[in-house]
Amino acid sequence: MPTRNSGDVTGTSTPFLRTTLGVLLLRIAIVVAVLVAWEMASGRLISKFWVSSPSAIFAVLRRWVADGSLWMHLEATVTAIGAGYVIGCGAGIAIGLLLGFLPRTQRVIAPFLSAFYSIPKIALAPLFVIAFGIGIESKICLVAVTVFFLVLFSTIDGIRDVDPDLIESLEIMGASRFEIATKLIIPAAKPWTFTGMRISVRYATTAAILGEVIAANRGIGFLIEYNSGQFNAAGVFAAVLILVLVGVVVTELLTRLERGSAPAVLPF
Amino acid sequence: MRTDSALQRPPSATNASAPARIELRGAAKRFAAHGAEIQALSAIDLSVQPHEFVALVGPSGCGKSTVLNLVAGLLNPSEGAVLYSGKPVAGLNRSVGYMTQKDTVLPWRTAESNVGIALELKCRRVTAQARKDRVARMIDLVGLNGFEKHFPAELSGGMRKRVALARTLIYEPETLLMDEPFGALDAQLKLLMQDQLQTLTQMARMTVLFVTHDLAEAIALADRVVVFSPRPGRIRTVRTVDLPRPRDIFNVRFSTAFARLHEELWNELKDGIALGTNV
Amino acid sequence: MTRKTWRPVGGRGLLAWQAVVLLLLFAAWELAARYWDPTWTSSPLRVVERLIDLLKGDLYRHLAVTFGEIAAGVLIGGFLGSITGLWLGASRFLGVLLRPMVVTLYNVPLVTLAPLFIVWFGFGMESKVVLVAISAFFVVFFNAFSGAQKVDQDLLQNLHLMGANRLETFVRVVVPASMAWIVAGLKIALPYALVAATTGEMLAARDGLGSLLAKAAARFDMTGVYSVLLILMLVGMSIANAAVRVENYLLRWRRANG
Repeated sequence: MPTRNSGDVTGTSTPFLRTTLGVLLLRIAIVVAVLVAWEMASGRLISKFWVSSPSAIFAVLRRWVADGSLWMHLEATVTAIGAGYVIGCGAGIAIGLLLGFLPRTQRVIAPFLSAFYSIPKIALAPLFVIAFGIGIESKICLVAVTVFFLVLFSTIDGIRDVDPDLIESLEIMGASRFEIATKLIIPAAKPWTFTGMRISVRYATTAAILGEVIAANRGIGFLIEYNSGQFNAAGVFAAVLILVLVGVVVTELLTRLERGSAPAVLPF
Repeated sequence: MRTDSALQRPPSATNASAPARIELRGAAKRFAAHGAEIQALSAIDLSVQPHEFVALVGPSGCGKSTVLNLVAGLLNPSEGAVLYSGKPVAGLNRSVGYMTQKDTVLPWRTAESNVGIALELKCRRVTAQARKDRVARMIDLVGLNGFEKHFPAELSGGMRKRVALARTLIYEPETLLMDEPFGALDAQLKLLMQDQLQTLTQMARMTVLFVTHDLAEAIALADRVVVFSPRPGRIRTVRTVDLPRPRDIFNVRFSTAFARLHEELWNELKDGIALGTNV
Repeated sequence: MTRKTWRPVGGRGLLAWQAVVLLLLFAAWELAARYWDPTWTSSPLRVVERLIDLLKGDLYRHLAVTFGEIAAGVLIGGFLGSITGLWLGASRFLGVLLRPMVVTLYNVPLVTLAPLFIVWFGFGMESKVVLVAISAFFVVFFNAFSGAQKVDQDLLQNLHLMGANRLETFVRVVVPASMAWIVAGLKIALPYALVAATTGEMLAARDGLGSLLAKAAARFDMTGVYSVLLILMLVGMSIANAAVRVENYLLRWRRANG
């Protein structure tokens, strides 16, 4: 059955609100309305203490940009995410490939891997802090471990998912193990690995921030924790806003990367 | 609103001045797809009398399904008019039961729960007990005894089709729209289902609009067969099927009258395809 | 050219091998404790001792607190999330309109706001329950929303033709059809709930596994830290297991036997 009036050449004309432009304007209107309501309510209906206000948040952001602290904290977090991500992906792919090609070994240690995976990563944070101190190393470690597991599992799943019939047909053609690995298995597993890499970006960000929340002296997570402790709601929301922006930028970057329009950052 | 009834209705007095159940006057349908305009249906005129069984036959893409969608109110005509019981079709036409090619059985309900769903709706006012009885009767009619409590994922394609058929017939819609309902079934099952369909629709005196590829099926079941030409869909021929009712579905194809009609219509179909442009 | 490398592997030998690996791990740990400073590495024996102590002591209280926070939060958040998600997702217009905002909100990792929640709701269980509830809400909301949007339009139209009104199609088609999505959401929400509860407890709490961990870490009590990590591992595994079981039960119509 067709969706009613889909692709209809005749039929009723679309009301303005449902056109692309109309929808966009409506969205902007909603956001503006929420911000205005927030500004109005703050101080009058709800104490500024709890929810702050858009103007206060903006002021805090301006101050941070002015005194350079924004960049310092941002740099700390982004470095932690970036370094941890790279290490985690590298290790995850390497060990994933290794285990993928050694199915028996993989089967044996699979339950151990899942067991370690089920520990909430945040619980490892104190361990890393004890081992590496309060600096960026412990955050990098936390991010790396988080990303490692996700990429590892994706890669292993990708390799296991290869249709054995395809392998067999290559074997019959006379391909060596190495050739089968490079021409069939790795290319087939690539999309799985990429999916794992893509998913783990979000988790990497969360891990870095959480690590900073637990114990740090700089970073966006630190800003959240510090400002909470200072009962500075505006500061907390400002930090969250930065977090959201970072997330949006990263998601955009990833989407573009996938579509191929951004310069290749990864060596694949 | 139908109250619980046996599947029998007294014959209505059909006279020439009573409105046709379904009427298409110069109805055409165009779609915009991928930047181009596709003419699914050229202006056609078709009228279906109450209690009539009309089969629409033709090659793929000739607009047969579009006709059904127009009658059901799922589409508006780009040109012309589509009338139901004398009034233009506006919005979804709730007097029809529509059995589509695609499987629309609800996967999370058992077979019997699926069959009874139409009777759960408020617009019908059927008591739970009455519903159970009618469902049981329907299940029996389509031969799914023993499978009532199975989920669709556990049933074969043919069985799912039977569930869909039972589900559509159970509330005795005034008109039945069927889009190649038996296409995916094996030959034996197809004949069985055709037989059941004939029995049920004759008993309840439903008007039926039946789309199919299978010319033999069309002739066996219908009062009239409408042959379409390839896209853009146009009606090539309309022939009345004079075979007496009730018809023995299993053996009717061996009669000479059938064979003659089949040959005639087959030639129409063939010529239509030969002359036609893209399918 | 060995063929057996690619063949699926299984059999009884598997468990034996796994037992061997487990023993080797423990042995290696024990050795590490003897060669290096046991203050940092602790040892299997010490951890076992500590676990027994905890079991005899107030481990139950901490477990109850953590599980309680998770259960309450997921139930509240999951329920509200499904209702709102289904309701908003069922309307095509609202769905299209609100989608980018929903996606943006989903991208905010709520767990990172734990300090804020503690400021707002205090030291006790409430702040953790709220944290868990809100994270569960967003996850389930997003899934319910997507599920309701992706309901097969043909199923809906079919029911409309039969004479169903909007409420009936919502209850009989949209809700069950989205169930798979909601359950998937719950499956994601449960481990996330554990993370949220643990984080909240690590930051500020009297009871709960997270607080146990934080206190041990503050004292540099490595045995304590490893013990709690082990407990968390078991808790995490049981939650994941429970989630899978719930899914299999609720969605049993999906398994094709025939």
